[in-house]
Amino acid sequence: MMVWWLDGLLALGLLWLAWQAVTAPRLFRSVVMFIVFGLFMSLCWARLAAPDLALAEAAIGAGLTGALLLSAYRALLVRHGAGREEAPGIAPALARAIAVGSGVLFAVLAGILLTLPGAEAPAGREALARMEELALDNPVTGVLLVFRAYDTLMEMGVLLLALLGARVVAEPLRAAGPGPWRRPGLSEPVLVAPLVALLVPLIVLVAGYLLWAGTTAPGGAFQAGAVLAALGVLLRLTGRLRPTLTNSLYERAVLVLGLAVFTAAGALGLGTEGYMLSYPAGWSYPLILVVETTLMLSIALTLALLFSGSNGFRGAR
Amino acid sequence: MEQVPLYVLTAAGLFAIGVYGLLVQTHLLRRILAVNVIGNAVFLLLVAWAVRDGRPPDPVPHAMVLTGIVIAVSATAFALALLRRYYRDTGRVSLEDREDGPG
Repeated sequence: MMVWWLDGLLALGLLWLAWQAVTAPRLFRSVVMFIVFGLFMSLCWARLAAPDLALAEAAIGAGLTGALLLSAYRALLVRHGAGREEAPGIAPALARAIAVGSGVLFAVLAGILLTLPGAEAPAGREALARMEELALDNPVTGVLLVFRAYDTLMEMGVLLLALLGARVVAEPLRAAGPGPWRRPGLSEPVLVAPLVALLVPLIVLVAGYLLWAGTTAPGGAFQAGAVLAALGVLLRLTGRLRPTLTNSLYERAVLVLGLAVFTAAGALGLGTEGYMLSYPAGWSYPLILVVETTLMLSIALTLALLFSGSNGFRGAR
Repeated sequence: MEQVPLYVLTAAGLFAIGVYGLLVQTHLLRRILAVNVIGNAVFLLLVAWAVRDGRPPDPVPHAMVLTGIVIAVSATAFALALLRRYYRDTGRVSLEDREDGPG
């Protein structure tokens, strides 16, 4: 049964928020609208029977992307000044022409997409039919780590590349890592410490649950990694973690851990089963658990460092 | 599923909005937002199609979109790092030249 008004509201909300994110007169409003857009997207995934995506979107799409955008906005604002945020626009006549073109694009896309026939034998049916052979119950995790493990392995490479690229072009690290209250002479807001003390164990617990549940229920390395990365962002913003110019051997090891362990597990399959990225018979469940755990750690540290814009972290004294 | 056409239409609309923003806006942060809107439109299309054969939904597009979400956030972070560096080196927030001379 279709709750038509709920889907309708979600669709209208998405379109309106996207429009605001793209055209709102003030940049700050655009950024905030985009964050809310991510939350609406997360509700859409839930409506479309994709709870795995809803979890990931809420943590990454709305949360982490939002934190990244706000931090970039602030960096532009700090030296730019509030009055000068606007870039030169394009001619109104040209903008109108582009608007008409976009309208045509929408009509053509809608016409094609609504009439496109579905695949006769989608890959997903094959994957669902073969789920019994796996030690997992969550088809999405099965596809990610067994049927299309190659994609996931390459994704870890892309994540590492993004971090390396961001490090190459990054601005010099400013001394002001944490909030201004950690500077001498200013004291931290009184509620920050108890809040952090409450949230840290809770976040670790949620991440651990998401990772563990990933084999049978919605969840997995991506969602858990995103939640852990959020913990890194929290600790970084409250000054518990300070950004550093150098990274320790330990941090470098965690960054490549997911890629290395996944490759090693895949190579193990090459030896026993005859092809890369298969799992030795009887060992798939523990191996997948190990791979997922290392993926989670690598994803979490990569995303947290991408947010921090630093090479490494150091605990505050 | 009757809700699929609605979300397919929404995806097409989001795509068009994103393309419009990408072409019309010159502020690089807005362009990054527009690219993200386009990416989300593609994700929405894939996930809407995943349920059109009925339940259970096709897990392959779900896994692809999950991968895509993580790639999108890392690409966005890279783009923002490029933007911050570009701004720091040139003092500008768009690729176009200011008409009122160097900012």
